[in-house]
Amino acid sequence: MDARTGGNERFDVIQFSIDQWRAWAPGLDDADAWTRWSLAPGCVGGDPAAVPAVDFLPAMQRRRMSRLARMTFQVAWPLAEGQAPMPMVFASRHGETPRTFALLSELAERQPLSPTQFSLSVHNAIIGLWSILRGDDSEMTAIAAEGDGLEHALLEAAGLLAEGEPQVLLVIAEDRPPEAYAPWIDDVPFPYAVALRLRRGAQWTLTCDTPSADATACRWPHALNFLLTLLQGGSLCSNHWKSREWTWRRNP
Amino acid sequence: MSQLETDIKNLIIEALGLEDMGPDDIDSEQPLFGDGLGLDSVDALELGLAIQKRFGIKIDAEAKDTRTHFANVARLAAYVSASKAA
Repeated sequence: MDARTGGNERFDVIQFSIDQWRAWAPGLDDADAWTRWSLAPGCVGGDPAAVPAVDFLPAMQRRRMSRLARMTFQVAWPLAEGQAPMPMVFASRHGETPRTFALLSELAERQPLSPTQFSLSVHNAIIGLWSILRGDDSEMTAIAAEGDGLEHALLEAAGLLAEGEPQVLLVIAEDRPPEAYAPWIDDVPFPYAVALRLRRGAQWTLTCDTPSADATACRWPHALNFLLTLLQGGSLCSNHWKSREWTWRRNP
Repeated sequence: MSQLETDIKNLIIEALGLEDMGPDDIDSEQPLFGDGLGLDSVDALELGLAIQKRFGIKIDAEAKDTRTHFANVARLAAYVSASKAA
């Protein structure tokens, strides 16, 4: 991290490289499908209730996993296979809302809470499962940020790389919220998960600036907007959220 | 296999999310935890809750013989029968 404060306290530039990425959404489970999507990005045609197979996990291990957890494993597992242990930074703005809604519904009906739902409803449950099932005791981080969770996760990952980690796995995943929350959640067009395997390097630069007066929020969640840049071979991705204008630049 | 044992096996499969299993895959004498069916401590809590809800009985988690009642399906069926009769 190159912190040139120059009179203000914010960082200016972070640099990193992306070795490999994976993404999943209903009907979009390989790179070819994503490439087709990137040619005419819109809502996905797959069954909205689709759940990734994660059949690389034994049935006894995957049985309790929510769709959010399965999406996370589906994209992250292939990027970790054959690699040395590495930290994971998991980001999700909404997390396990289907589980927490089910628990709140049980409470409202004065029913006892399901121990399984309860134990897996916390935001760091997925990285806990990841650590156990991969036998990887590296540092694992779970964050919930606002619309720019991708960039906050990247900051966290850049910190780990700067501390000497050779590689960091970044995963961002969002599931559709329960129907009752739908009026307040407008940033999950469809369930999606994106994983990036990062290492120290200079392929990409991320900067954060104060947005210009006419800046508008991007049409897609930041992770999908960045994925579009990757798929289209673009060199610039701009993600604006509130007081932060994030610019991803592919270095020549 | 008694009807109650079959009911309990179906309850185990449903409550614990044992994908791709049927009641015939669980032997009534097979240990539920550890080396047998391979259930763990979260399953024990979940199964205890499911049994209480389904059969309307109260299980004392502190009682020292509770563990033996949950050893296998046959013991569990005997325990449920005795509790419902009480």
